[in-house]
Amino acid sequence: MSSHSSSIIQASGISLSRGGAQLLANASLSVNIGERLAIVGSNGAGKTTLIRCLLGLADPDSGSIELNGHPLSETSRTELAQQIAYVPQQLAERISFTATEFINMSRYAHTGGASMNQFDHQGTEAVEEAIEQTNISHLRHQSLSTMSGGERQRVNIAAALAQKTPILILDEPTAHLDPKQRGLIQKLLANITKNREITLVVITHDLNWASSDFDRIIGIRDGHIEIDAQADTFMKKEVLMKVFDTELLLHPHPDSGRAMILPYSSCSSPSTSSPKS
Amino acid sequence: MTDRAKSKVLVTMVGFTLLCILTTPWLGQQLTSWDVLFSPRADKVDTIIFWQIRVPRVVLALLAGAGLSLGGVVFQALFRNPLATPFTLGVASGASLGVTIAMVTGIHFTLVGLSATSLASLLGAILSIALVYGVARASGKTSPSTMLLGGVAISFFFSSLILLLQYLSDAGSSFRILHWLMGDLSRASMDSVLQLAPFVISGILIVSIFHKELNLLSITDDIAASRGVDVHRTQKLLFFAVSLMVAGIITVCGPIGFVGIMAPHICRILIGANHRFLIPASILFGASFLTLCDTLARNITSTAEVPVGIVTAILGGPFFLWLLFSKKKSPI
Repeated sequence: MSSHSSSIIQASGISLSRGGAQLLANASLSVNIGERLAIVGSNGAGKTTLIRCLLGLADPDSGSIELNGHPLSETSRTELAQQIAYVPQQLAERISFTATEFINMSRYAHTGGASMNQFDHQGTEAVEEAIEQTNISHLRHQSLSTMSGGERQRVNIAAALAQKTPILILDEPTAHLDPKQRGLIQKLLANITKNREITLVVITHDLNWASSDFDRIIGIRDGHIEIDAQADTFMKKEVLMKVFDTELLLHPHPDSGRAMILPYSSCSSPSTSSPKS
Repeated sequence: MTDRAKSKVLVTMVGFTLLCILTTPWLGQQLTSWDVLFSPRADKVDTIIFWQIRVPRVVLALLAGAGLSLGGVVFQALFRNPLATPFTLGVASGASLGVTIAMVTGIHFTLVGLSATSLASLLGAILSIALVYGVARASGKTSPSTMLLGGVAISFFFSSLILLLQYLSDAGSSFRILHWLMGDLSRASMDSVLQLAPFVISGILIVSIFHKELNLLSITDDIAASRGVDVHRTQKLLFFAVSLMVAGIITVCGPIGFVGIMAPHICRILIGANHRFLIPASILFGASFLTLCDTLARNITSTAEVPVGIVTAILGGPFFLWLLFSKKKSPI
């Protein structure tokens, strides 16, 4: 784990229970400035609960979270929104705002509102830049309710980018997307973080993406942080077993040699495959 | 739809509302001459009908329609449910129960210009708001769906109590209760306009200030909070401000249904979901719609006036169904 001095988010011993279920148990982590951090784990492991705590959307029963060295509990919603932008899993189909309206709303913490005016030059620039980065110019005046899942997700990310924050947290941004759309989102996130000005925290089930495009991976199981490792050391059978409690089929990538997870087929047996690296 | 196109729709709505204001006071069983405009204080029958009956009634309809429609817009955004209105959450049934108790017990007094019936209505509405919010808060379940269901339950409970009281009361009281429950603007006067105006104007001002927050809250609480909105404080403030506004309307006009569901939905189809445009559009549409319905209600028969609540439902119901099932994409 990296030093405390370069961390932008520091969570120490956070626990959270709801309705008798322990959602998070003594979880500690730090996120460093400019880092790309992936959070992985089985369904219901506590990944979303963890990021909800980091976003101030859920209050832990115990433990502390600091943002830039200040307690999160003492940070106002506006200050938080100026530091962290959040991309939820999927936007509901019922949302009938146009792409431009939805993206403009993310300027709320900076300009105090959804509707930009002619004096909000900084906001206009931020919105235009986000639209360009996500390549959604053609969707400007289209309602979100008439967009495909991939288009909606790009608008979702554009809105977070227009918020102009140093930290971006995404909850399964590629879930339910076809391979092309998934690739577009992954490339987009790689591009916006390549100069390390944005700290990226992503929940994903795509372990191949996590191991190839991220610096560090945190593995959660039953509310506990089981593994906090560099991405290149994560794709090992024993590590994956510890996080997912199942044996996964690993095979080296033909070009990079990096271990990749392969889907099981009726002809293959997990016991016969292992990473050659 | 671009902002310019939406602005054009709004300008058209302003024009239509002005047309309603200028024409509807002239329509009625008794024809009035233009002279009434130049002699508002004269004692002639024409002048009295125009200035003391029709003008206050049109102003009351404008205020009530605007407020009911706005109440629907806010509750539908807060609860992210196209059927949510302050009526759904028991405000109307609370007010109705208050009036029913006042009528059955026959209490008569006046306090700060409000009759016993008006006070009972206001207290009943406030009681239902406090019950819905208080129960949700005490149980720690203040999610939109829980509050909505709680409101529906309280609404049914109060409605049953009204039926019980009606069943036990004499025929005269029972008829008066029934008539009040239909929603009626025939009691309009300058006093009732002055009673209602502070409720509606303050409601409109508060909601207009929060149009940006309403946009975000209509998506999800998490999105709103992550963009910087103080979700709980804003929800609470809007919930009480709008409930109180609608309680004021019901107190003066009785429970006029359907405007709060239908008007916001039609405006969403016409102008989109952005509350910057939706709020003024709903205010204008609700105001014109209720004014037209009331004009129809007082002219539909030559013998007696029909309560406006019946007209809004009869006109609005089929029109709403047609809109819902027409080819035009519905934002619901």
